Amino acid sequence: MRQLLIDIFSFGDRPRFEKIGFLIFILIVFIFPWIVTSAYGRAVMIKFLLFALFGLGWNLIGGYGGQVDLGQAKNVGFGAYATALMIVWWKIPFWVTIPVGVFFAVLESFAVAYPMFRLKGHYFAIATLCVALVWKELFIFWDWTGGARGVEIPIRTGVDFAYMQFNSAIYYHYFILFLFLTQLLFMNWFRKSKMGYWVQAVRDNEEAAASLGINVTNTKVKAYCIAAALGAVGGSFMAVYYLYIDPDAVMPLDLSILIAMTVMVGGAGSIWGPIIGAAILIPLDMYLGAWLGAQKRLGIDFMIYAMIMMVIAAKEPRGIWGIIERVRKKRSR
Amino acid sequence: MMLEVKNLVKEFGGLVANADISFELQQGEVLGLIGPNGAGKSTLFNCIAGYYKPTGGQILFEGKEITGWPSHLVAREGIARTFQGMKIMANLTVGENVMIGAFCRTGDRRIALKEAGEILDLMGLDGETEAYPAELPIASQKRIELARAIATKPKLLMLDEMAAGLNPLETKEIIQILQRIKEQRQLTLFLTEHVMEFVMTVSQRVIVMSAGQKITEGPPAEVARQEKVIEAYLGERYAKGR
Repeated sequence: MRQLLIDIFSFGDRPRFEKIGFLIFILIVFIFPWIVTSAYGRAVMIKFLLFALFGLGWNLIGGYGGQVDLGQAKNVGFGAYATALMIVWWKIPFWVTIPVGVFFAVLESFAVAYPMFRLKGHYFAIATLCVALVWKELFIFWDWTGGARGVEIPIRTGVDFAYMQFNSAIYYHYFILFLFLTQLLFMNWFRKSKMGYWVQAVRDNEEAAASLGINVTNTKVKAYCIAAALGAVGGSFMAVYYLYIDPDAVMPLDLSILIAMTVMVGGAGSIWGPIIGAAILIPLDMYLGAWLGAQKRLGIDFMIYAMIMMVIAAKEPRGIWGIIERVRKKRSR
Repeated sequence: MMLEVKNLVKEFGGLVANADISFELQQGEVLGLIGPNGAGKSTLFNCIAGYYKPTGGQILFEGKEITGWPSHLVAREGIARTFQGMKIMANLTVGENVMIGAFCRTGDRRIALKEAGEILDLMGLDGETEAYPAELPIASQKRIELARAIATKPKLLMLDEMAAGLNPLETKEIIQILQRIKEQRQLTLFLTEHVMEFVMTVSQRVIVMSAGQKITEGPPAEVARQEKVIEAYLGERYAKGR
């Protein structure tokens, strides 16, 4: 038990400057809503934490696992719809709906994973993209999900911890911060566990991994399912934060791509990558949204992302974290 | 009996890569496998290691039939291997590479870490635990692969072209390491090799293959004198003309 706690909380395989950086980061996110009191600033921060959380989950399959998954939005959707529908239909408290959303996301991922992992590389990426799009269309088509009109969660007044509805953004801030930190600590444990190393071994060389007693397909499927579970939790948060969800908001292609991009920009396969990526892309995304307005729909923001992506792919495939590591290595010599 | 191969056949389309190969491998023995390019040595290796499914025949490991098992189950059963073209996990450190091997037998990171450290010590790589494989010379990378295979605690270790690309000095070093590890861990070795010096000094017995067939087997010095072996390597004319 003690060992487990040490594994979860120790970022100790890292040099000192990184620990200091982590402490500063934690300090900033904890006091942020007390310094920035504007609604817009707080909303940007909450969105940043939400996407950092999405990035952590995607990093498991896309970064550590090396399987480019362009369908994470479907898991976000499952989480969001599970929460929203259960609250609307049966008035079930929020905390009960989280495991249900996770359950459906994992179940669906498990069902599609075996056929999908017969594909590799780009073909796998295309398959994940298609599956996510099919789910989005189904949620639009079905009546019981509210169709294209979506689902509206009835507003409650005051501070309600059962349904996680608050009259101040500060509550939402600490709420998403809590979810984000649990996933950060989980990932910190995971990357050092046997399963974490197996996932990385499969990413680097499948044949070598198999020769060391690793069941390659099983490992991929497990990683895919765990990543789905992590994404669904963020989806549940989205439902009670926005109080209105539709397939275009919680399961679009844009969301899948933005999630994958935050990790790739920040640094896939490193614990800090998703956080760095979200810290850059989310403010940029909000700024572009405000600047371009309706033209954002034309895809100008995606052109800018594509350019960033090309630069990253050409200059440093390991993202910004890769640049940091390289500089540090040069200095230590 | 450690390993028994009975009438193994492997065909690729119409090409017969292994035709009716049979041999046995005793506990603690060092068996070499030689033959000219294209003789089917690697195919035989890959059939035993579970990388290929044999077309026919049987493979028994410690009396248990493992014919056609997938690689990871063969590895868990106690057969480890190295690859001809190296297959190292490039984004993981040397220590982590070996640790992943150790995870084959334990789920505890601390135990895996300790075992990896011990094996790297044995390999003379103890200073490179934190390095990435690509930063090291080829000879060290070969040792990483060997260390990783040994970390799975195999009973039978199969080495595919261990000395390829090494200079004579490095070859000598790796022979010494192998002999030390074999004694210490009571391994059985099965190796295929182009570098004759390596096979002939290490092996107690060799199997010679040519064009998918096993042509002979016996102690290295004896086999090297046989006419059909020379013929397989150098051609009929040279063998007759001697």
